[in-house]
Amino acid sequence: MDREAFLARVGEYHKEGRRLALINVTTLVPAAAPAHGAKPEAAATEASVGETAAPDQFEITWVFENDKDATLEKIREQVGPADIIPSISEFFGAAFLYENEIHELFGLNVEGINLDLQGQLYKTATKVPFSHAAVKARLEALAAKTAAAAEAKATTEAKA
Amino acid sequence: MKRTIIPFGPQHPVLPEPLVLDLILEDERVVDAVPTIGYIHRGLEMMVERVEYTEMGFVAERICGICSFMHGMGYCVSLEAIMNVEVPERARWLRIIWAEISRVQSHLLWLGLGADAFGFENLFMHCWRMREEILDIFEKTTGGRIIHSVNRIGGVKRDVSDAELAAIVVKLEELGKAFEKTANVFGKDPSIRHRLSGVGVLSADDARAVDAVGPMARASGVVMDTRLSGTYGYDQVDFEPVTETAGDCLARVVVRMREVQQSIGLVRQAVEKMPKGEGMPLENKPRGNPVGETYTRLEQPRGEVLYYVKANGTKNLERFRARTPTFANIPAMIKLVRGCDLADVPNIILTIDPCISCTER
Repeated sequence: MDREAFLARVGEYHKEGRRLALINVTTLVPAAAPAHGAKPEAAATEASVGETAAPDQFEITWVFENDKDATLEKIREQVGPADIIPSISEFFGAAFLYENEIHELFGLNVEGINLDLQGQLYKTATKVPFSHAAVKARLEALAAKTAAAAEAKATTEAKA
Repeated sequence: MKRTIIPFGPQHPVLPEPLVLDLILEDERVVDAVPTIGYIHRGLEMMVERVEYTEMGFVAERICGICSFMHGMGYCVSLEAIMNVEVPERARWLRIIWAEISRVQSHLLWLGLGADAFGFENLFMHCWRMREEILDIFEKTTGGRIIHSVNRIGGVKRDVSDAELAAIVVKLEELGKAFEKTANVFGKDPSIRHRLSGVGVLSADDARAVDAVGPMARASGVVMDTRLSGTYGYDQVDFEPVTETAGDCLARVVVRMREVQQSIGLVRQAVEKMPKGEGMPLENKPRGNPVGETYTRLEQPRGEVLYYVKANGTKNLERFRARTPTFANIPAMIKLVRGCDLADVPNIILTIDPCISCTER
């Protein structure tokens, strides 16, 4: 991501009086590992959402809201696990909470958070539960479970 | 000066929910507070991987037992936007009625907890007795007191007869009159005023700087309420956000008390304006699987909730995110706690009306 351009745009939203409504991260699932329950035609529809489905990528969306006209402005970036994401807590006081969250749940590196909670915000049993490795493992386990259930059902029906 | 760290929660006499804060003290003064969330993290958002989108609304409702109706509504509104489904008019009004009744029961619940926290047990019981009557209305109209499951993608599952709605308005107006007496105690009792007035002051500038939402922001004089945007039918009712300017604990109590009366008025307006008659359509069922993404905002009792939903054409959503009002108000809470006396921490935290179930999802 272009750090300077990103911060300049965030600064503009701050000047306009917008407030930070959300920083959201989505773990982009590669096309080779479709979501559980996906039908064969899912690949085409996934592409229509506009993702590159590159491996190990995350999509971050910063959402800024204007209370006067209820409009939302968004900045969207795709980043990898090794990328450095600049903090916007200098402009928006509430950003530190989202930034600590995306660091702890997704393992993303955010630089310059004005209140770095040092990994103390979430105390989950699985470290970085929304990382690519964790998501992939969950999806594979689900797929294996579904396949085993289908096989067991088919065997039961064949015996009957 | 030597610093002491005191763990505040997850179990604390004043907290009905397991908020976790490490308070860093110098003598009796709080110099910093470090929040931890996740004590009851349930991974409900992650359940989109396993639960089909048609059933995920029931999971969304279970994010929180106090705002359950509005979580279900927010999820359904999001899917309706993605799937371009129009909700029948009567169903839209019914959603407004249930949403406003939800706000009344949430505020009564909180006012009771607040009264209990500052030592007024009888007041607590009065508030919760009134809340029981609201829960009776929910039970009668939806079948559930806490989890209602009436929202469907495209409308609502159950109708409420016109006679029943008229009776609900009468019941709520009686309750509103009875609540005036209770509100007088909150607003005028000298010991409550002494405990809350001038404590935990959040200025309007600070509220904006930390992006506070809901009664928390409105008690500081910030005019913000997602109902002002007029979506989901709120453009057809007379509505002005309740605001106070003091920004202290007492102002946050007063805002919620006034909102109880306001919501009763909104239910009355909705019943007057909704189309009358039996057997009207309540639901337009969606077809196929959703593709696309949307952001939905609703004004929950604690403030603005924002849902992000992303669908990829399969039965399972790709992402479901709920940014709850308590999550948005944590920075404000930390700001207020810094510099206050340890004895004031419980009241300050309570007047934010923290909902940890919502926050930890």
